[in-house]
Amino acid sequence: MSAVTADVAKAVVKRRSHPTAHGEARFGFAMIGLSVLFVAVFTAIPILASLGLSFFSWDVISSPRYVGLKNYEQLFNDGPVLKSFGVTLGMALAIVVLQLTIGLALAVLVNQRKLVWVRTLFRTAFYLPLLASTAAVSIFMGYLFDYKFGVVNYYLGLLGIPNVPWLTSGFGAASTIVLIAVWQQVGFTFVLFVASLMSVPTDVLEAAQIDGAGALRTLFRIKIPLISPTILFAAVVALINAMQLFDQPYIMTKGGPGSATTTVTISMYQKGFQNLQFGYGSAIAILLLVAILMITGLQFLAARKLVFYQ
Amino acid sequence: MTGIHPAGGTLGRRTLLKAGAGGLSLAALADLAACSKDSGGSSKSLKMLYFGEQAQATQLQNRLQPQIAKLDSTIKFEISAINGTDWNDFLAKVLTQIAAGTPPDIISVATEGLQLMASKELAIPLDDYVTKDLSGLKEYFADIHPALVESMMYQGHLWELPDSFNAGNMFYSTELFQRAGVTPPSETWTLDDFESAATKIAKFKGINAFGWVVRLWGSWTSFMYANNANLLEEGKYDGGDWLWSKAYAGDAAAAGRKGGWKWGAPTANSEATVEALDYMIQLTKKGLSPSPDVGGGGTLQGLFASNRIGMSIGGGFWAGGLANAGMKNGSFDVTMFPKWKSQRHLFGAGGYAIFKSSKKKDLAWEVLKLLVKPDTFDLVFPGNVTTPGRKSLVSAARYSKTGPKHWSVFYDTLTKHPDTAPIPAPPYYNALATALNQRTTQAISSGNAKAALDGLQADLEKAAGAS
Repeated sequence: MSAVTADVAKAVVKRRSHPTAHGEARFGFAMIGLSVLFVAVFTAIPILASLGLSFFSWDVISSPRYVGLKNYEQLFNDGPVLKSFGVTLGMALAIVVLQLTIGLALAVLVNQRKLVWVRTLFRTAFYLPLLASTAAVSIFMGYLFDYKFGVVNYYLGLLGIPNVPWLTSGFGAASTIVLIAVWQQVGFTFVLFVASLMSVPTDVLEAAQIDGAGALRTLFRIKIPLISPTILFAAVVALINAMQLFDQPYIMTKGGPGSATTTVTISMYQKGFQNLQFGYGSAIAILLLVAILMITGLQFLAARKLVFYQ
Repeated sequence: MTGIHPAGGTLGRRTLLKAGAGGLSLAALADLAACSKDSGGSSKSLKMLYFGEQAQATQLQNRLQPQIAKLDSTIKFEISAINGTDWNDFLAKVLTQIAAGTPPDIISVATEGLQLMASKELAIPLDDYVTKDLSGLKEYFADIHPALVESMMYQGHLWELPDSFNAGNMFYSTELFQRAGVTPPSETWTLDDFESAATKIAKFKGINAFGWVVRLWGSWTSFMYANNANLLEEGKYDGGDWLWSKAYAGDAAAAGRKGGWKWGAPTANSEATVEALDYMIQLTKKGLSPSPDVGGGGTLQGLFASNRIGMSIGGGFWAGGLANAGMKNGSFDVTMFPKWKSQRHLFGAGGYAIFKSSKKKDLAWEVLKLLVKPDTFDLVFPGNVTTPGRKSLVSAARYSKTGPKHWSVFYDTLTKHPDTAPIPAPPYYNALATALNQRTTQAISSGNAKAALDGLQADLEKAAGAS
């Protein structure tokens, strides 16, 4: 092909491809624009509003009054609210550890060649609780775990086990809420891990098998390192969710007994919506946001050493 | 006007607009709040907020519409429901709705929210309207106990015409009492009689003698009242003579009534209050009472209806509630709350207030009068789901289908026990209710009433100081 012909050909291609490229670009920008708009309306603006509100005293009824950093000063001297941060962190860590461990164990189990045929069934079964309304689940679980009239204690009683104060003792209530949250959320990590384990290269696994590595060695030395980015992702998402735990403790225990299950979001709701301290409630929300950002940052720092990218 | 606003230190809208990005967002919120004070429904509609489900609210709207049309044929009557587990929940949602710029003209407010609404000047006092229409209202005041009216007063002014109330009486399962060989309690029974009956009933496996709910109305607080104790110092506002001297002239039951209940310093860790809560802990330890739920009491009513609970605190609303839950007339009954140091009962009353922002206050007042007419009661509350505020409506005919047999106890609580008083609901009721719930569950869980109530005392002092 001559140079002239080549130039003409390029021009034709360019002319033909131009409208399509523009269309794709427009479509792409539209989609990105929608996402940006969505994030702005439902995330950025509320965060900015909360940040602004946290410098005011506002009871909804009267006009807002500028108080500077007083809400934050009050927050750092408010024992019960600070305790709710501790309660949240403790429950969140328990939820994340259990959710990842159980999710991974189930995924490894289902990923066995012998069980491939039931993989879809298990994936559906474990994912279903996640689709149920948390409020409905919490009400239902509240009945199941009722101290005197609950089905769980009824069956334990048949085995001669005395009634367990699932929701009426501090430790019991926190543990039960953690277990229910894990039960409901574990399907998410399970599905992620199943997909991730399926993507582990078979030649690597075969090489390990030839080298005489056992199942446990293969799991800890090959599979887990190879899916570590997924584990990091699951850990970050699970922790962010767990730090915002509200529905289960609010519905099942109203944050009690005492303040044993009063999470930060419950504190925020109580102060803001029930006690009409919207400025103070916003300050709690901002501190929660900062805490989540810091913990997530720490997770990414730790990931530098622990996460293996192929 | 009586309510007090913090006058200084507030920001104007323009100032807020200068406050940067965060302030911009806040300005939007403040603007909404400001709107809420200027509006009050469109000129063609009269809006009412109702505590319950929307389906019920719509039915009520349809039932009342013909009556409203007689008052003003051009107006559209709209009732919006707000659902909640208790009054605390309801109030929180109402205030959020006000903040969103959609205030009603008329709002359903019980004792729990009355002082909050009045102190924040969200509602208007009805003094002038009542004085103007006193001759027409004399029949109403002659039929309603002054204790209920006094509970709707704040700082000498009347904020609502009460239409209903519920006193904390004791419901019991006649079937379980019979099975346990317990004689049905008399109206003058004591706490010892109560515990003796409870001990006999608790011998049945899977049955608890006494069930209760963690909340302000009719919770362990009923024991607290019977023990002559309270969470707050009791007092009364001056004033109110403008009403008592005219509407209740010569009525002995109105003697000593003043301008509404004035709730003073917290007394949550007083000896008698601690004793009352400790009594509940002991009931739990003795196996006479299960650990209570926090909330409105729906679960408890279900357990009672299925004969899993022998006794529970209930008001007139339990009659309809138990009948709706399938209990047959005769399978349950009611009596006075047992006597401890006194036989003082608590109660909560309900009614409707006119929102300050309403542009149709005169029409709203006509609706308020309509809502307390005898014929309207069953339109608003079908099925005995509360106790009528009017004595004439508490009749044998009313309870012939639902029971209980001793229905007269409901009103007798007011007439036979003049010391019966409203629940302690100061303007900082929401904070009080939250703290009470938390500290009660703490006490039941730990078994230490004193420590929990020391905590409640601190919580209430803080809330009272902040309000």
